[in-house]
Amino acid sequence: MWKRPYFIIGFGILAFFLIGSFVYEGLYGNVPKQTLFITENGRAIESPPLSPQWGHPLGTDQYGYDLFGKLMLGAKYTILSALAIAALRMLIAVPLGYLLGTYLQRQRTWISGLADSLHYVPLTLFASFVLYSVLWMPAEGFTTGMWERIGIQIVLMALLTVPIVAVLVGNEAALLSRQEYILASKVLGAGRWRIIRKHMYPQMREKLAVLYGQQVIETFIILAHLSLFDLFLGGTKVSYDPMFGDPPMSISYEWAGLFGSTFRYLQGAPWLPLFPVLFIALSILAVSLMLEGYLQSKNPKVKKKRKTPAEEDKVVEWNREQLREQMVRLKEKELL
Amino acid sequence: MNLLIRFVFSIVGIVLISGLPELVKGLLAGELQLKEYVLSIQSVLSNIWPIQDFAVFNIRTQRDILLFPTIAEYISYSLQILFLAFAAAVFFAMLFTVATMLLPEPARERIKSVLYFLESVPDLLVIMLAQLGVILIYQQTDVLISKIAVVGGDRIYWLPVLCLMLLPAIQLYRLSMLTFQEEERQMYVELARALGFSKAFIVLVHMFRNAVISVFFQSKKTLWFMLSNLFVLELMFNMPGIMLFMKDNISPEVFLVAVFSFFVPMFLVYSLGEWFFLRHYRGKEVG
Repeated sequence: MWKRPYFIIGFGILAFFLIGSFVYEGLYGNVPKQTLFITENGRAIESPPLSPQWGHPLGTDQYGYDLFGKLMLGAKYTILSALAIAALRMLIAVPLGYLLGTYLQRQRTWISGLADSLHYVPLTLFASFVLYSVLWMPAEGFTTGMWERIGIQIVLMALLTVPIVAVLVGNEAALLSRQEYILASKVLGAGRWRIIRKHMYPQMREKLAVLYGQQVIETFIILAHLSLFDLFLGGTKVSYDPMFGDPPMSISYEWAGLFGSTFRYLQGAPWLPLFPVLFIALSILAVSLMLEGYLQSKNPKVKKKRKTPAEEDKVVEWNREQLREQMVRLKEKELL
Repeated sequence: MNLLIRFVFSIVGIVLISGLPELVKGLLAGELQLKEYVLSIQSVLSNIWPIQDFAVFNIRTQRDILLFPTIAEYISYSLQILFLAFAAAVFFAMLFTVATMLLPEPARERIKSVLYFLESVPDLLVIMLAQLGVILIYQQTDVLISKIAVVGGDRIYWLPVLCLMLLPAIQLYRLSMLTFQEEERQMYVELARALGFSKAFIVLVHMFRNAVISVFFQSKKTLWFMLSNLFVLELMFNMPGIMLFMKDNISPEVFLVAVFSFFVPMFLVYSLGEWFFLRHYRGKEVG
């Protein structure tokens, strides 16, 4: 796994964001650099949002905060919660799936029918519908802390698609349980638990790993979509001032929030929404690179051995005279 | 019979989902309010029953509007976009699959890996790049190739459809490549080849027929993925579709009606397809 270039590149990108995020906070504190004006010869020539330039590689937002700093600070929230959401979801859904595939064979039709209904509900909408009461700041302010809200959000988002994943794992397990070797071990007296642990789990380990990767990717996308609803990871700060209210803002600098609060500036300051989305795209790419590398390491392609042509005898082109000489020499040898 | 069970349980599932926010609110307060949950579902169902009379409070116009004649227009626009994009995605995915299948092996692998990584581009990026591209072209050449936002009552079609179909097409392409390659290893392909049929003929006639079934059954997930994308699309293009309507008037009742408006056509399409394929190809294992 660690020798596959795909895996290493993917892992490198994610590690860079995560480590970079903590290092940045350690070095510069948790407020990014702010530039209010750029002056030249004592005259202000550009005011925020500043376009990308040397001092601010990705530009600044409308208040002059450095976008690169914001993105680095936000990386840890977005990536860690996506990983956590997917992990929690797998932790709940996989045992349920095994239960469904082994103990609850008979009930599978109606349970999957029930889970099937989720397939008609756009996931983003469903998530926003459920999360609104958690993340939207009420007029009197939040009663919960930021970490508490992130925790609640992680649990809820993990639970959202548990039924779908569980049914998926269940179907897979049911398919496996018809295999002959499982029948054989049943005949030999193995219990269901032993079959799950010793036969099904090892058989499905790779598929589960792929499933986990897909869930992480899906979570990134859902987080980005949620930000279009102004629902940001860790809560949305809403200004209830009727006159000079600020637009809804993300409390942490997580990427989805950086995108969601700026996508209306697409024409005026395209770097503001574009870079957060690009960073999300990069992380998704990193995850899928890691997946590809992992799969390659598990099923190494049997490289078609190019048949190295057998050592050919040197073909020496002789002219007639040389040929005769050789023949004579051979003859002599024979005679000797 | 099996179909009927699935239909009923899907409906039950959707109704159960529509009451969920109530449950979450209860959980936040630290208690499991099952009673309120059941009550809210009951009230939703009783509210919605004479469907012609149901009205929602519209934030934009600040008054109640009747749900039914209004929503039909939104629904039809959304469904048009969704199914147009789906059809386009299926068409292009199939086209590219057949084209790639006709290529020699190494070229095939290269194309596959490029498209595989394209798949990880989020839909938001696609939409934003499309909009920026239109703006750029307009600035450079003064030609507006498409409107990038809906203003007033007009409707835009081709740019949203293009944005919506791109990623599902890649997904479907990957899926159908897998199926086709699996199909290629079957005995009948070898036989056909031995009988001297050309590669194009085998791929187009023999393998296509068998592979398309399996692709059909797996495409359900793609359609689900498109639903989420559709929502983002409507928001970013400001299209008067059902998703935008739902965002403006969010209530359990509207949610229920909107979800049903997707559920019924999708279920119909898939049930018809299932019935059709099962009748025609009874011998074949359907995954």
